[in-house]
Amino acid sequence: MNCPRLKSWFSERYNFDEIRDLAKQKFVPNHKYEIWYYTGGITLFLFIIQFITGIVLSFYYIPYFEHAHKSIIEIVTKLNMGWFFRSLHHWGAQIAIVMLFIHVWSTLLLKAYRKPREFIWVSGFILLGIAIFFGLSGYLLLWDERAFAAVRVATGGAGNFPVVGGFIKAFLRGGIDVTGDTLTRFYAFHVSVLPLITFCLIGLHVILVQYHGMSVPISVEKEKLKETPFFPNFVYKDLIIWLIVLGIVVTLATLAPPEIGKKADPLAPAPENIKPEWYFLFLFQTLKLFPGEILGMNGETIAILLISAGILFFFLIPFFDRKSQRGERSTLFTWIGIIYFLYFVIMTVIGFIS
Amino acid sequence: MKRIFTALAGIFISATDLFAQQDKIDVFPTVPYERFIVYQNLFIFWIGIIGLIVIIKMKLREIERIQKMGIDKEGKDIPVLD
Amino acid sequence: MKIDFSLVTRRTFLNTIFGGWLAAFIGGSFYGLLKFAFPTLGKEPDFVILKPEDFLNIPTNSVKPFAWGGKLGLFFKHSDGKTVALKGVCTHMECNITYLPQDKKFYCACHKGWFDENGKNIEGPPPKPLEFFDVSVEGDKLIVAKKGIKVELPKA
Repeated sequence: MNCPRLKSWFSERYNFDEIRDLAKQKFVPNHKYEIWYYTGGITLFLFIIQFITGIVLSFYYIPYFEHAHKSIIEIVTKLNMGWFFRSLHHWGAQIAIVMLFIHVWSTLLLKAYRKPREFIWVSGFILLGIAIFFGLSGYLLLWDERAFAAVRVATGGAGNFPVVGGFIKAFLRGGIDVTGDTLTRFYAFHVSVLPLITFCLIGLHVILVQYHGMSVPISVEKEKLKETPFFPNFVYKDLIIWLIVLGIVVTLATLAPPEIGKKADPLAPAPENIKPEWYFLFLFQTLKLFPGEILGMNGETIAILLISAGILFFFLIPFFDRKSQRGERSTLFTWIGIIYFLYFVIMTVIGFIS
Repeated sequence: MKRIFTALAGIFISATDLFAQQDKIDVFPTVPYERFIVYQNLFIFWIGIIGLIVIIKMKLREIERIQKMGIDKEGKDIPVLD
Repeated sequence: MKIDFSLVTRRTFLNTIFGGWLAAFIGGSFYGLLKFAFPTLGKEPDFVILKPEDFLNIPTNSVKPFAWGGKLGLFFKHSDGKTVALKGVCTHMECNITYLPQDKKFYCACHKGWFDENGKNIEGPPPKPLEFFDVSVEGDKLIVAKKGIKVELPKA
């Protein structure tokens, strides 16, 4: 689209040349691992879909515990294509978390976290935690039996943290037990607090990537690599991948819309075989491994401490991995990454089967 | 006596509750007519996506052809997204 | 007739079909989004309250109309005395239907569509069966409600 008059109107007031030159300087290196470069963009695209579908759903959802469940049923049965947008929001969330995990592990195994990109890893890790919290808070908004029990377990588990556990539990729940106040609070998190934080962190994360450029894995770093310009080549390649992802999510949303269970009753016993969402299953299974009491101390507290230590170590890997900081191949940390991955997958599968 | 009565009352009340089970809520249009429309639209949507991908691939081929010839370095004002 | 020079450059050609297809794709997707974001005006009621004495004593194998929001509702007594209520609107182009007792069928005059006494579309263009409502009597009120709606009456 040419419109030279419109362009000259702007160029008489603003100098875009610098931005254009900056954009033209962005290059993406070509090597055998370049397919993993797409994962971050796909995750971003899926989060954008979540924002859009979330906004339109929030026009109709009522975040009061008495009406929440019914408002969802109204959306799904009464409104034009309501079932579709709810289904799209659900599947968008599932695939976004899958892609997020793929993105995290690909950066871990390709050591993209090494010097000078530590802050990209740090901001990314916080984003991972926020994404999980998005999933948890969004899930409660259903206010059906499963969601209610799942949130009870999750916030109760958080309460097992030593010292701060009780405080965290009360903050998340808005009280002693999971009530309507919890719903209101989780809605506030899901709809305003988390999106604002996500927006800022993603902004930081992406700006840092522009600043440092694309990380090249150590094993191919030494070679002289060909590069493709980001504008326009990679933009179009990204767009193709994003379109395919959109098609997959829409197809899943159309062919497999999610169910909704009975309205939650705080006084009813927990339903049979209650299980959290799949991305929590590995934590759930790990907790089950620990006996109730170890050497006189609360088994759950020990379990939570160990899990937290594991997650903390994961977070601090860029600072522990000295070899990759020097630019050397670090097979130890590759194995650590693979072990974390296998643990996650195996525990999730066991959680599914049992 | 009172206890037996309250126990029986409790059993009867919970028995009737079983009949009050909600029907499964339809999360997808059940009428076949509406289902067909949904599947048709899904098909049209995929045609749209595949068409876009084909066109973008055509554009990419052209861009790479131009870049191989090296003429993209010529003008300063060449649009960023060709 | 072969011409020596192309009428448009490759760039123009590619950008035009790209822009056009993209506009159609985004337009179509946003149309769906907007249909959801802007609810249909003139929604139908969840339930209506009628007077039992006006409806429960109609002769068998007959209908009595009532107002369902702005549309036609039909209170129908089968030949065996069973009473039901349905929306008297044809599922084809929303004309009002009528009941023909001698055929025990519902008939839509607009395009000659036929429904049997259970509302199933048996002949003609209507693609779906008729919509039925839940009927209940509470005290001195006859309540006709959309299927699945829990009716909560104001405690007057």
